[in-house]
Amino acid sequence: MDELDKLKNHWKQNEPRFPQISEKEIYGMLHKKSSSIVRWILIISILEFVFQVGLTLLLNDNTGAQPLHNLNIDYIMIPMTVIGYGIILYFVYVFYMRYKKISATDNVKTLMANILNTRKAVSNYIYTNLAFIIVSFVVLVFVLFNTDPDLINAIQKSEANGEKITFYLTIFVFLVICIAIFIVLVWLFYRLLYGFLLKRLNRNYDELKKIDF
Amino acid sequence: MSSSIERSFVQQLQENQNLIHKICRLYTNNEDAHKDLFQEITIQLWKAFPQFRGEAKFTTWAYRVALNTAITLYRKKTRTISTIEFDSKIHRFNQDEYNYEEEEHIKLLYQAVQQLNDIEKALVFMYLEDKDYTEIAQTLGISEVNARVKMNRIKSKLKKILNP
Repeated sequence: MDELDKLKNHWKQNEPRFPQISEKEIYGMLHKKSSSIVRWILIISILEFVFQVGLTLLLNDNTGAQPLHNLNIDYIMIPMTVIGYGIILYFVYVFYMRYKKISATDNVKTLMANILNTRKAVSNYIYTNLAFIIVSFVVLVFVLFNTDPDLINAIQKSEANGEKITFYLTIFVFLVICIAIFIVLVWLFYRLLYGFLLKRLNRNYDELKKIDF
Repeated sequence: MSSSIERSFVQQLQENQNLIHKICRLYTNNEDAHKDLFQEITIQLWKAFPQFRGEAKFTTWAYRVALNTAITLYRKKTRTISTIEFDSKIHRFNQDEYNYEEEEHIKLLYQAVQQLNDIEKALVFMYLEDKDYTEIAQTLGISEVNARVKMNRIKSKLKKILNP
């Protein structure tokens, strides 16, 4: 008889004596809030969407965006806003559809895959939005170089002083550093947050895949 | 949800709570964590109860949800407290068949099982509960052959842990 069979015999013959939970206590538990990983993912995802939408609204806010409106660049601002909202709507829909699929009555592997898929919808949204923000930023800088009177003035001055290349190079290096810092901060935040939250789930999912290679 | 459904759920859970306790015992190492996981499993069972149509036994349906909660949904708290007191409380043998040596060996076996990973513990749990490999495979979402292979590996692993 191997070790596990010995344990099985004990398991059957000597039902471990657990302190029994009363019906009253169970009733109380039904109305407690779940602390499941799915609930956390939902809360964090909603916060991410709200934050991103808030950021978009803030950037499009009348007072905040006044200098841009003054430049008459609606031909670029309107399509960018439409694309921005389109991205949000698409990913909220994908997230909701995947979230609805999560069921505790599924088998372990399917449940894990569905949770990771739901999470993936949000990370895809974050990556898409990051790319969109960077592209918008670059486009805006390009447009500003051609329309903003102060910038045009500065370029002309640098040209007159024979510092045109230095001027462009400074702007370019500054932009690259800003974008790099922005990406690293966001990446670090997500690595920490989801590394902590999904570590166990990822490990168990990998273990299941390994068994069922 | 109506109160009669709630009453029926609470009654069935109360009657079959040992099943949940056994899973909590495998996946936690102190009394607080045990209670915490028990509560989370209760919440998940209650949320999933509308899908329970009584086609299967309550226990058959409940242990899948409970395992899913323990392996996947439950967010472990980092706090850990000594397990000695709790262990001795629940592994005590019936007085009339008390055997110190055997009790020690069983304790070591439980400790060895505690060292397995979450998926291996699930396989062990279902094995101890006398589930056949078809059901074990279906519950985990793997093939029956691979469930058997994995179980044999777990047996060897336990042997190694117990006889280093």
